[in-house]
Parts: sequence; structure tokens; C-alpha cells
Amino acid sequence: MRQQQSMTSSGVSIIHAAHLMKTFGALLALDDCSITVERGEVLVVIGPSGSGKSTLLRCLNGLEEIDSGRIVIDGIELNHRESNRLRIRREVGMVFQSFNLFPHLTVLENVNLAQKLVRGRSTGEATKQARLLLDKVGVGEKLDQYPQQLSGGQQQRVAIARALAMQPKVMLFDEATSALDPEMIGEVLDVMRSLAREGMTMVVVTHEMGFAREVGDRIVFMESGRIIEQAASTEFFENPASERTRQFLRQIL
Amino acid sequence: MVSHLPKPATLRDWLLYLATIAGCIMLVLRGAERLGYSWHWRQIPRYLGSLSDGVFVAGPLLKGLVVTLEITGYSLVLAASIGLVTALLRLSSSSIGRVLARMYLEIIRNTPLLVQIFFLYFVMAPILDIGRTATAVLALSLFEGAYASEIFRAGITSIDRGQWEACYSLGLTQLQSYRKVILPQALRRVVPPMTSQAVSLIKDSALVSTIAVYDVTMEGRTIIAETFFSFEIWFVVAAIYLVLTLTLSTLASFLERHLFRTHA
Ligand SMILES: Nc1ncnc2c1ncn2[C@@H]1O[C@H](COP(=O)(O)OP(=O)(O)OP(=O)(O)O)[C@@H](O)[C@H]1O
Ligand SMILES: [Mg+2]
Repeated sequence: MRQQQSMTSSGVSIIHAAHLMKTFGALLALDDCSITVERGEVLVVIGPSGSGKSTLLRCLNGLEEIDSGRIVIDGIELNHRESNRLRIRREVGMVFQSFNLFPHLTVLENVNLAQKLVRGRSTGEATKQARLLLDKVGVGEKLDQYPQQLSGGQQQRVAIARALAMQPKVMLFDEATSALDPEMIGEVLDVMRSLAREGMTMVVVTHEMGFAREVGDRIVFMESGRIIEQAASTEFFENPASERTRQFLRQIL
Repeated sequence: MVSHLPKPATLRDWLLYLATIAGCIMLVLRGAERLGYSWHWRQIPRYLGSLSDGVFVAGPLLKGLVVTLEITGYSLVLAASIGLVTALLRLSSSSIGRVLARMYLEIIRNTPLLVQIFFLYFVMAPILDIGRTATAVLALSLFEGAYASEIFRAGITSIDRGQWEACYSLGLTQLQSYRKVILPQALRRVVPPMTSQAVSLIKDSALVSTIAVYDVTMEGRTIIAETFFSFEIWFVVAAIYLVLTLTLSTLASFLERHLFRTHA
């Protein structure tokens, strides 16, 4: 099994997370969660509301601090060393449900900011990269607009471009389409789909089962902070091992 | 229905307003008459300024106004800096920083400004060997800085947590996040409360006349001591402060509307 792989192996796995525990006061948000993600793999995390999906994702780039367990990303251990945390965040992009674009900056400035500050690129280099990515996600015409002037779907695509501009090795998506009007969900999923096709390593939390089934290589099912089941996509949807998973899929499909 | 929008003034409002003003003037004139006060308005303009051989020479009140402007100007910049640093300390993860900030705030907010001015003037100024004006600026800055820090803190914490998370997820450090994302947004939000704080600063600056700094108030007191034109001079001094504070408020609301067209 993948979970048994050695944590220190420099094999193809890019994310090793083992025995993660996380509490919020008395609430056990993550209860001994372990996942591994291979390079180029798309891991989809599903589960009922409050099951700990976001928490798991946010622990992977240190937005939440784990109580115990171990996280190694691309050979770098996420620990108390600030420099490690920063190095990991540089390699891990994240897309949020609420976009979190910078409202005081234009689209172009949003995409350029971290490139310049963190990657040390010149405005020229950053802008070149930004144009490329904004074109790719289909908002190349909006460079000088402010986020408020865009639709939700456009904002989310800018947010994806902003994360991609850092040339991350891994992308985390936390319900990237949940805040969108139905007619805009498709355009964002299209962008994610093409990213997956290009071989981007992705961890995706979503309620879009069709997308999970189509794009996900592997599915993790969570409930009450625990990983109930993880399996290859087809196997997971066609022949789920746990009764709880079958119940969940019946409800949601 | 409860409406928070101010209703446009009606003719009745204006009449009421004029009547009130007229009433106040009457009251003062009557009172002055009863006291046997003789008005000397013709003597007053020269305390503002006069023409000698076609050249304008500033009178004591104008000179005082310049001092008041200088003191409040420096204090405003210093108070804003102290306020920002204190706010950042209070929000920092350093427990020593937080304790220091709290101590400063508690001391400043729980002692009278007048006592702070005297303390600095009689205790600290000789020790640090600083002059009156510097002492005045220091006292006002420390005092207003405490209030400014609360304003900054509220502004910073009003920024959505998602902004921090976006910064961190992109690999920005805390300092970079503050500089490029959090503060630029927070500063726009604090313009209105900071304006009222600046108005307070202008008004509070009158207290520095107690340590013989020749600001507008002190000049006024000096003129009155020599001439006994107390009614006229206090009217003029009050009017000068009014002009200052109203100008500032107008300027700030203009700034807010035209420079900081917020996108938030
Ligand atoms: N910062 C926090 N402080 C306290 N409790 C929290 C915090 N973040 C999450 N929780 C709690 O931890 C549990 C897991 O939350 P999490 O957001 O990870 O769930 P989720 O699976 O992402 O749910 P959803 O599908 O609604 O987004 C929930 O019970 C939630 O209330
Ligand atoms: Mg969630």
C-alpha cells in the first residue's frame, strides 16, 4: 500500500503526510490522517461538511499547524523552521473557495506581487508570465481591472493564475467552485481539468462528484476527521469498500 | 421607518438655525453690557497682522497659529508612527512586545494629558535635555499615539483573514504581507477615524500653552494679560481653531472621495 512507503524515500511521491492530528479546542478535526501524493497525480478529497477536508488541505501548506504527525513536501519537512515553511509555500499553490484576490490591486498586480517579492522577478519578467497564464485561463483581457469588476468565475480564474505564476509543484484547491453561480462552475472546472491533463500535481477538495470521477486519479473519503477510505477513482466509485462510503455516495450522486 | 440618511435642510431648519445664532449673539452682547464690558473690535485685527509700508507683518496670533500648526504637524506624523508601531506590537506574536504595548496604552489612557505634559516638561525634559517645543510635540504624540494605535489595530483586524491566507499561500513573509497587502487596505479604512483623531490633536494642542509654548492659545493669553480684550481675543482664538479643524475635515473627506477610491 502507498501509505506504507518510507517517509524518507526520495521516490516519486511529492507529498508525504503521516499520522496528522489536529484539534480545535475539544474538537478533533484531524484524527490520524495519512496521505501520499505522487508527482502528477490528482488526489480528490471528499466527505460531508465538517469532516476535516479543508483542515487537511490547510495543514499541508502550514496555514494550520498540526498538533502531531509529519508532513514532507518535495523533500522539505514542514516543521517549526520558518524557512522551511516559506520554502514549502513557494512550491505549493492554493486556491480558495472565496478567491481571496487582493482588492486594492489590479488583476495584473495580483498575479505579479508574489512573483516579484518571493521569486525576485523583475516587473517585465513577471508581467510576461502573468500575461501567459491569464491568457491561458481566459482572462487575458482584464489585466488592468480590479477584482470587483470581474465575475466570480473570472475572479477564481485570476486566483488560479496568481497561484500558477509561482510555478508551484503542487496545487491545492479548496472547494474552488462552491462560491460560484452555477453557470460559472464549468469555466473554472475546465481550467482545473486542463491543469490536470498537463500533469500538475493536485489535491482537490470538491463536492463535484462528476469532476472527481473524471479527473481524480485517487479519491480520499473523510468523515469526522478520519480518512475512511482511499482508493483509485474507478474502484472508489464502482466498488467502494466501506459501507459508510456507499451510503455517502448514494446520498450525493 | 428609521432612516439613517440625513434629510435635506428645510426652510424651517434654516430659520431655526439663524434664530439660535442670533439668540447666542444677543446673550453675549447683553451679558457684556451688564458687565460693563466695552468692545474693542477695531483693535483686534492688528494682533493678526498689519501692513507697514505696504508690507504684511504677522501679528502675535498669526505667529501663534504657525507654532500651533508646526506642533500639530510634527505630532501628527509622530503619533501616527507610534500608533502604527504599537498596533503592530499588540498584534505580534511576541509576548514582550504585547506587554510593552499594553503598558504604554494603559499609562497614557489612564492619566490626564495635562499631567503627562507636566511630567515630561518638569521631569523628562531636564533629564533628556530637550526644549519646550520638543517636549510639547513629544507629549502630544505619545498621547494621541495611544488612540491612533487603537484605530490602526481596528483597521488591521478588519481585513479579512483570507487576505492573510492568500499572502501566506503565495510564500510571502508576515512583513511582506503587511506592507503590500494588509496595511494598504487597512490604511484606507482608517482615514475617517484618524481625521477625528487629528482634530482632537489640534484641540488638545492648546494645552501646551501651560508650559509656555507660544501657540495660538498662549499668544491669546498674553495679549489679554496686556490689554484685557478677553472677549474679542477668545472669540478670535476659537474661530482660528474652528477654521483649522473644519479645513482638516473637509480635506480628509476630499481625500477619501478622490484619492482613495476604495475597491474593497
Ligand atoms: N479555525 C477553526 N477554529 C475552530 N474550529 C474549526 C476551525 N476550522 C475548522 N474548524 C472545525 O473543524 C472541523 C473540520 O472543519 P473543516 O473546515 O476542515 O471541514 P470541511 O470538511 O472542510 O467542511 P466543509 O465541507 O463544510 O468545508 C469542523 O467541525 C469545523 O467547525
Ligand atoms: Mg471546507
